Amino acid sequence: MEVEKGKTAKYLKEKRPVPKEVTEHLKYFTKTKKQLLDALKEGDKTVPQLAEELKKPKEEVMFQLMSLLKYGYVETGEIDDNDEYFYYKIKSNGKNKS
Amino acid sequence: MKTLEYDVLVVGGGIAGGEAALNLANIGYKVLIVEKELSIGGKMILLSKVFPTLDCAACITTPKVSEIQRHPNITVFTGAEPRKITKKGEHDFEAVVFQKPRYVDVAACTGCQLCEEACPVSVTDEYQFGLIGRKAAFIPFSIASPRAAAIDIDNCILCGACERACPPDCIDFTQTEEEFLVKIKSVVVATGFQLFDPLKIPRYGYGQYKNVITSMQMERELAPTRPFNTILRPGDGKMPDNIAYVLCTGSRDKSVGNPICSQVCCMYSIKQAQLLMGALPMADITIYYLHIRAFGKGFNEFYAQAQEMGVEFIKGKVGKISEKENGNLILRYEDIEAGVVKEAEHDMVVLSVGILPNRGIDEVFDNEKLKLDPFHFVDQSDILASPAKTSIDGVFVAGTATGPMDIPDSILSGGSASAETTSYLRRRN
Ligand SMILES: Cc1cc2nc3c(=O)[nH]c(=O)nc-3n(C[C@H](O)[C@H](O)[C@H](O)COP(=O)(O)OP(=O)(O)OC[C@H]3O[C@@H](n4cnc5c(N)ncnc54)[C@H](O)[C@@H]3O)c2cc1C
Ligand code: SF4
Ligand code: SF4
Repeated sequence: MEVEKGKTAKYLKEKRPVPKEVTEHLKYFTKTKKQLLDALKEGDKTVPQLAEELKKPKEEVMFQLMSLLKYGYVETGEIDDNDEYFYYKIKSNGKNKS
Repeated sequence: MKTLEYDVLVVGGGIAGGEAALNLANIGYKVLIVEKELSIGGKMILLSKVFPTLDCAACITTPKVSEIQRHPNITVFTGAEPRKITKKGEHDFEAVVFQKPRYVDVAACTGCQLCEEACPVSVTDEYQFGLIGRKAAFIPFSIASPRAAAIDIDNCILCGACERACPPDCIDFTQTEEEFLVKIKSVVVATGFQLFDPLKIPRYGYGQYKNVITSMQMERELAPTRPFNTILRPGDGKMPDNIAYVLCTGSRDKSVGNPICSQVCCMYSIKQAQLLMGALPMADITIYYLHIRAFGKGFNEFYAQAQEMGVEFIKGKVGKISEKENGNLILRYEDIEAGVVKEAEHDMVVLSVGILPNRGIDEVFDNEKLKLDPFHFVDQSDILASPAKTSIDGVFVAGTATGPMDIPDSILSGGSASAETTSYLRRRN
């Protein structure tokens, strides 16, 4: 069968259903991303501050925030007065659409 | 099944296999490299800088891998593995090679990353050793070779966003696994090593305490393509200022089944300590060691240089690591010189994990036995006179597939494998 170029995902989806965990994982990531970006819209924050606000473990916030930094949503700001924690902020002209 | 013909099959596209392939290709042999990962370059392409010269690893690896990819006598299969290799006679081998679908037409992909940007899925990035996420449509890492996207089908929701974003329409979900019958005259095994998994030593708390990381994770933190904006604790993003190294994690330790020395951990830890002092000038670095093994050219000087820079070396056996509320770690260790048990607090701990054999390649050989040594590395049947020889005539071995060694030795070993392969190929009977 000839499958049209640029539309092959649909073809595979018919043959190979997407596992539930995969969609659940995406939902969780999208939600956490929104929470982090919303929190940063209020002002620059450090990882412990975001963890406290979102009531999530610090290591999880670190992982997700650094991923958002890589994906271009967030950028690094100043370091705090004790030279310990960086502030992170919404990337100016980045992809903060959500 | 498609049939292909080459002179030599090189299994593993790390620095050792790459070197062997280049030498053989330069004298006119047709070589097929079969690499199981999405990029060639092995572990070296993921390192920061290399001891003892502190040259940037990428600056040495990138020209090598592109020479390999461009060489008219070399063909590279990534995402591929030999499943069966049969010796039919002298200068006559047959290999069955499987290649996983990448779902991207590598030749057409420009590496523009628009698919990555469009993909909504974020999962753990194995090429950053779990420190950060990556998309399900992704370029493995920026200096990957080939620098082409791949689809992680197990985590893909098949939404098609990547396909719609891709300018040259090179994403193709109709790809399936391919199987090739490869006829060759000789084989080079360069399957490298795997890292010791520190979860096997629960008293060090790896996995449980997030500020205990492996040396490979620290390599990534130090590399120019690092996961974070600078060196940070994965547990909470704090910039560390008091880092400890635990040498021989999973090496010289019968209790974890690996009694031998990994040869590179002392030196790469000393290297990382020097790099950390450069990156974090205020930080204290302490290395807990049993013996420092600095036997290579320039190694002892490199060790002395670290001492002069202020790296602290403690001859001590770390028994247990525990975590404080603030994420700092308490190391309980036996101070070997003083003969007493002591405790010290650090804000980050790096486990200098050992080098283990990559298992399974012997099972691929069908009708003749590829002998392994007592530690499951590939046995060198004539280690003094002909170090690349294996138990099968016509099958040679290169690099860390024979045992732990550093990059210069892996390259030398790749050179020796190519020389011995050449002499086998020219020994026409
Ligand atoms: C943390 C760390 C830091 C280091 N720092 C330094 C340093 O500063 N200086 C230095 O000299 N050395 C250093 N080393 C050592 C260095 O990494 C090794 O010497 C070198 O990478 C060995 O190369 P190799 O080609 O033998 O193996 P590898 O790099 O392991 O390559 C083997 C390749 O074979 C592939 N493969 C395996 N099995 C199969 C199969 N069945 N089919 C197809 N492909 C397969 C693998 O995917 C891999 O790409 C360091 C090591 C570590 C762990
Ligand atoms: S089809 Fe898969 S890889 Fe492509 S964008 Fe959607 S989730 Fe990502
Ligand atoms: S697959 Fe397409 S969109 Fe993705 S990097 Fe390659 S060319 Fe760009």
